[in-house]
Amino acid sequence: MFNATVQRIRTPAFKITKNCKSKDCHSVLYMIPHGRRFLSTSSCLYGKFLPRKKPRVVHEIAGLEPITYADRMHFVPGLAKPRFPPWDRGWKDPSHYTSPKLEDMPLHKDKPCYMFNQRTNVLEGVRQALWLSKSVIIKGLPAQILALAEDPANQIENQDERVQDAIKNSRLWDTTEPRPPRERFCPSLLHRLLHLCDGLQVMRPELAKRILAEKYSLAATWRRGEDVFQVRGQNGLLLNSMTPVPVLAGEEQIQSTADQALETFYPIAPTIDLQRTHIYQEKNDTGFREGYPYPHAHTLFLMEMGNTPKLFPEQLRAKMVMFAFGNALARAQALYGKEPRVLEKPIVVQSVATNGRLFQFVVFQLNTTDLQSDSGVKNLVWVDEDQPLYGFAKVWPFIKKKVVKVPAGLSGYQPNTFKKFLALYLHGAA
Amino acid sequence: MSVGLLSRALSALSVSRAVSPQIASVSGVSAALTGSRGFMTSACVCQNRSLWKQREKYTVRPIGMKKTGGRDYTGRIVTHGIGGGHKQRYRMIDFQRLRYEPGREDQPIVEKVVEVRYDPCRSADIALVAGGSRKRWIIATETMEAGDVIRSSSTIGRMAVLAKEGDSHPLGALPIGTLINNLELLPGKGAQYIRAAGTCGVLLRKVNGTAIVQLPSKHQIQVLETCVATVGRVSNVDHNKRIIGKAGRNRWLGIRPSSGLWQRKGGWAGRKIRRLPPIKSFVTPAQ
Repeated sequence: MFNATVQRIRTPAFKITKNCKSKDCHSVLYMIPHGRRFLSTSSCLYGKFLPRKKPRVVHEIAGLEPITYADRMHFVPGLAKPRFPPWDRGWKDPSHYTSPKLEDMPLHKDKPCYMFNQRTNVLEGVRQALWLSKSVIIKGLPAQILALAEDPANQIENQDERVQDAIKNSRLWDTTEPRPPRERFCPSLLHRLLHLCDGLQVMRPELAKRILAEKYSLAATWRRGEDVFQVRGQNGLLLNSMTPVPVLAGEEQIQSTADQALETFYPIAPTIDLQRTHIYQEKNDTGFREGYPYPHAHTLFLMEMGNTPKLFPEQLRAKMVMFAFGNALARAQALYGKEPRVLEKPIVVQSVATNGRLFQFVVFQLNTTDLQSDSGVKNLVWVDEDQPLYGFAKVWPFIKKKVVKVPAGLSGYQPNTFKKFLALYLHGAA
Repeated sequence: MSVGLLSRALSALSVSRAVSPQIASVSGVSAALTGSRGFMTSACVCQNRSLWKQREKYTVRPIGMKKTGGRDYTGRIVTHGIGGGHKQRYRMIDFQRLRYEPGREDQPIVEKVVEVRYDPCRSADIALVAGGSRKRWIIATETMEAGDVIRSSSTIGRMAVLAKEGDSHPLGALPIGTLINNLELLPGKGAQYIRAAGTCGVLLRKVNGTAIVQLPSKHQIQVLETCVATVGRVSNVDHNKRIIGKAGRNRWLGIRPSSGLWQRKGGWAGRKIRRLPPIKSFVTPAQ
C-alpha cells in the first residue's frame, strides 16, 4: 500500500505565487516522487498523495497479435492500446530515476545476509548476541579492571563531589524548563563524565594518546553455519587509542572456553529480528582509513535515549555486545586478513551504555575469527548489568500524602559506578 | 443507454448536427463501432478512508486505524450506535495457524509464546508467538502464558492425538469431545468461527472424512476433517461477567446511546423456543 512514506517535500515552482509567504518558497520542487503530480497545496507541502490505482491487466494470448492503433497515430475505440518498448533517456537524470527490480540490482545475491544495525531490537537479548558472536558470558567485570577501580591512586581529587556536580548540572541546571528531556541530559551527562576522566591526563600522559570519534560507520562480515551475518551502522561514541587494549583472559581460560557449549533457544532461531536482505556487499571496514593515528578501538559509548527505538536493558546489552564484537572483528580482519583463525593476540574492546542513570558495562575479548562452527575456542564477554549512578535526580520533591518520599535534588548516589567507569577508561593506560 | 441519451441531448444542443451518433444510438449499435466517444459520468471515488487496511505485508507493529462512526462511503449512518471511543491501533492477527515460514515448509511449526496482552479490537486477548525467524500475533487460549511452547500440525494419524491446550491440529486428529476454538471452515482459509472471549466449540463426531462441531450458539456444522482448529477455550473467560458500571464506559468502548424513542415491538421480539436448525454442511458433494 504505502509505497512511499509520507515525507515533507519542498514547494513546486508553479505553486509559488506572490501571495505565498516566504517560508513556503524555501526551495523549488524538482523531484516529484513516482512522477505523480500533486493537485493541492497541502499535498505539495507534505508529499502526501493517494496511491494510484493499478492499471487494468492486459493478458497476452500466445500466437495472437493484438491490432493496435499505433500506426494510425491516434486513439481508435475498439483497437488495443499499443505497448511500446521502454524508452531509454541515454543519460542518468536524477529526478526521473526508477530503480531496477531487486533481482536486477548489481549487488543482488542468492544467499541472504542477516544484518544487525543500530536500530535492531533482538528478541532474545544477550543470549542471541552470544550465539551470533560465538561467545561465552562471565557475569561481572574482570579482576584487572576491578582492581583498577578499587585502587585509590586512580581517583580524581574530590571525585564524588565532582561527579555529583556533573549529574546535577546535566539533570537539574541545564535548562529553564521544568525538566530536561532524556535526549538532552543523557549525552550531556556522558560528555561531562568523560571530561572529568580526561582531567587525569596531567598525571598520566598515555591518556593523551586517545581520541573520541562520533558518527563513524562500522561494517563487519562473518559466517556462522550456512548463513552470512553483518554488523553495520553508526553506533555511538568510540574512544580510539594508539595502543591496543591489553588482553584480559589468560591462555588457559581461553582454551577452557572450547569445552563450554553455546546456548541455543529452540524454537526461536538466532536470526530472528535481524534484517534479512539479498542485496548486500561483504564489507569489512573499521570506519577509519588506513594510516589513522588512533587505529585501536578502546571503548564504545552507547546512549539509549528511547527514540530509535526504545530498548530494554537486555536488548541494550545485546546491542553493546554485537557492536563491540563488530569493532573487534573489523580490526582483526584489517590486521590479520579475512582467513578465519584463532588469534594469538586476542583483541579487546570495551563498551559502556547508559540511559542517563543506569550504566551497563561490557568487555569483549575476541579470541577467534573462526566462527563457522559451533565448537572450538570461543570469545569471552564480561557483562556488568544495571549499575545505577544515582537513584533519583528530581527537580520537585515527590510527596505522597504530605510525606516526602523522594527529596528534590540528587539522591541515592552510588560512587562504585563511577569508579568502574573510570577503571574502564584507564584500562590500558594505567 | 444513459450515455447514448446524454450524447444525443448534447448533439441536439450543438450547432452542427451530428447525424450518425443519433442514428447509431437509436438503432442500438454500440458507440465503439460507430466512432463516437463515450465519457465518464461519475468522478473517480478514491478516498483515504480504507487505505489503512490495504497493507499486504504482515507486520507485528500495531497499525493506526481510522474510525468510521458507522458511516459508509456516502457519509450516511449505516449502523447506528457506533462512534467515538478511545483511539485504537490494529494488530494484524494471523488466523491461519498452519502458515509455514518461506524456506521452512518441511519442519514442524513449533513456537514459543513471548507475551499475552490485551487487544482493543476484540474481546479476547492476543499472544505474540515467535518461531523460527518470525513473530506473529494469534488469539490466546485460556491458560496461555509467556514461555509456553505451542505446536501446529497438519497430520491426521490413525490414533487421536492427546490434545494440549494451545496446540492446533486438524479436526480428524483430535479426540471427540475436545473443546476447540478458532475453527476453519475450509482447509487453509484461516479461522473464522469461535474467536470471541471465553468461547469454545465441541467436536461431536467424525463421519467419513468430515467432522461435526457444535458452535457456542449450539448450532452444529459439518466441516472437512482437514480443517485446523486450536484446542482449548479462548482467553479472557470472564468477559461476559464484566459490569460496565456507567454510561461513560460504554462511550469509551465506542458505543453510542440508542435512540430513546419508544417503539412497539413486533413479532421479532421476545424469547423464542424453537428446535435447532439442521446441521449446516460446508462440505461440497464433490469432496
